[in-house]
Amino acid sequence: METLSLLAGGFAVAMTPLNIGLLLMGCFVGTLLGALPGLGPVNGVAVLIPLTFAFGFDPTSSMILLSAVYFGCMYGGRISSILLNIPGDEPAIMTTLDGYPMAVQGQAANALAISGVASFVGATIAVIGLSLFAPLLARAAIHFGPADYFALYILAFATIGGIAGVDPRKTLLSALIGLLLATVGIDPISGVPRYTFENYHLFDGIEPIVALVGLFAISEILMLLEKTVKDRTKAIPVGSWLPQWGVIWKTRWAMLRGSGVGFVAGVLPGAGASLGSFMAYVTEKQTSNKKGTFGKGDPRGVAAPESGNNAAAGGALIPMLSLGVPGSGTTAVLLAMLISLNVQPGPLLFERQPELVWGLVASLYMANIALLVLNLPMIGVFTRLMMTPTWALMPIVAAVTFVGVYGISNSVFDLEMMVFFGVLGYLLRKLDVSLVPLVLGLLLGGDMERNLRRAMSISDGDWGILIASPISITLYIMTAGFLILSVWLAVRDHKQAQAERMTEG
Amino acid sequence: MGVVIFVVAALYTWQAGDYVITFGDVLGPSVFPVIVGIPMMILSASLVVFPTGQAEWPAPQRMWRQAAALAVLVGYTILLQPLGFPLATFALIALIGIILGGAAWKATLLGALMAPALWALFDQVLGLPLDFLGTLFG
Repeated sequence: METLSLLAGGFAVAMTPLNIGLLLMGCFVGTLLGALPGLGPVNGVAVLIPLTFAFGFDPTSSMILLSAVYFGCMYGGRISSILLNIPGDEPAIMTTLDGYPMAVQGQAANALAISGVASFVGATIAVIGLSLFAPLLARAAIHFGPADYFALYILAFATIGGIAGVDPRKTLLSALIGLLLATVGIDPISGVPRYTFENYHLFDGIEPIVALVGLFAISEILMLLEKTVKDRTKAIPVGSWLPQWGVIWKTRWAMLRGSGVGFVAGVLPGAGASLGSFMAYVTEKQTSNKKGTFGKGDPRGVAAPESGNNAAAGGALIPMLSLGVPGSGTTAVLLAMLISLNVQPGPLLFERQPELVWGLVASLYMANIALLVLNLPMIGVFTRLMMTPTWALMPIVAAVTFVGVYGISNSVFDLEMMVFFGVLGYLLRKLDVSLVPLVLGLLLGGDMERNLRRAMSISDGDWGILIASPISITLYIMTAGFLILSVWLAVRDHKQAQAERMTEG
Repeated sequence: MGVVIFVVAALYTWQAGDYVITFGDVLGPSVFPVIVGIPMMILSASLVVFPTGQAEWPAPQRMWRQAAALAVLVGYTILLQPLGFPLATFALIALIGIILGGAAWKATLLGALMAPALWALFDQVLGLPLDFLGTLFG
């Protein structure tokens, strides 16, 4: 009941004209960004963050706008998957498997409608889960001491790369680079400037927003340049946009199963929406692929991954809001924005700023309805906009990125930093090093160090305090278990690859 | 690349030793960088010795395009203030568009349309101050 009254308060916050306007704008822009191949939720949100700063919105409104974009991307990604066989963003890869064959068979309208409804089901279930579980987790986390937080951060770094990640060493290295970058600037406890090279621009540390816009948006432009430019495949023409409702109804169980699987995948640290849609598809294939129709245009193969990725996107907000530890790349970017607005997510957020938390949750309910309306009848508009050629799109993205970052500080130095991080991001991506742990390290580094030092001050220099509480011991055991698992998987994959090479040669 | 990271990590750890503070704080500003620096050295060294995955670097021709794009981006940061926002952005959009393979006249047209439009949107409508004319002209 308490949750309901808090939620009602949240709706009061979300219902202001400004917030509704931002919500609708975010939904529209998000769907478009999701639909455009090459721009995913991480890039999309990263490009827009500086703009919300520049306009000086309060944290709640900024969060509503960007979460609407985030959810919108999840809806939009399927459009290009189905019509072009090119995933609009990473989580939509699984949707191409059955969505494109459906479109080829003249069922494009059905595929689009199923995926739209599935997105709605998945996202709504995730938001309901968010309103139920996030406060519980926050209440549990209130007992965490500095040493426990230090342990929690270590767990976050160990898991963010995901189980299916490439070389776990690269993931850890990426997190360490982030931590290294986080120590640049004046040490907040002792006042000693560190690694500033006597450059006064660096005294305040590296602005995370500038760094991550460079890492994601600028590096994306450099990545695009190395691909061959060719005319994009023509979208499959859609005769009628009207779907057959019976087909949608038949996929209801696939949607619910996909939502459940996706939601759990989203809550787990380091998984995120891509894994959510992957697991939802695999589960659905195992349960319902009796006639071998999956991969050939089975409607359930569209419903499951779409509900899965949307549910995971919502689920990933839970650890971000209640622990301050994001579960995916996009939530890491959202965390960056909150920290830069002086909002520290974590258990205290629910007590100190309930209007932000519940306003956001309420607006997510509204965003889902808006997105469903936007995505069913207006699908034709997005299909047309989706065909914007890359040569026209990316320069505008670059220009908007520069305006946003320049608008925060009016500093050319920040623009140069952004380009520098763009090159760094490009090089790391080429070397298969995930950027998400780096961003997480940069964001949490300061806090991690502060908690470590606070713990050591409490114990007067005794390192034993780090493993003195049951919470921290549990967290370390989880970390160790996870690292062993990922190393074991990596070694196994490596051996498999070697064995394959042996048989080929 | 692994070697580069190793060298950076080593310098970083070595530099950390210089940040000494004697009062107030038990750990001081240098311990955390050391905690970060040492595993970084170990990991990067292990990646140099036992590399995994092969990076595919683009063909030289593509590299040139990337270098050109980078030059445009850096040039933009340098010329933004002297030229003013609309002119610099026009050049940015047109040049990146051409590098990305758009027809020259189309990219120029796009830049000519979008640069003033973005300026009007951000400066006039949304109230973000952007120089119309740069220091060079004004």
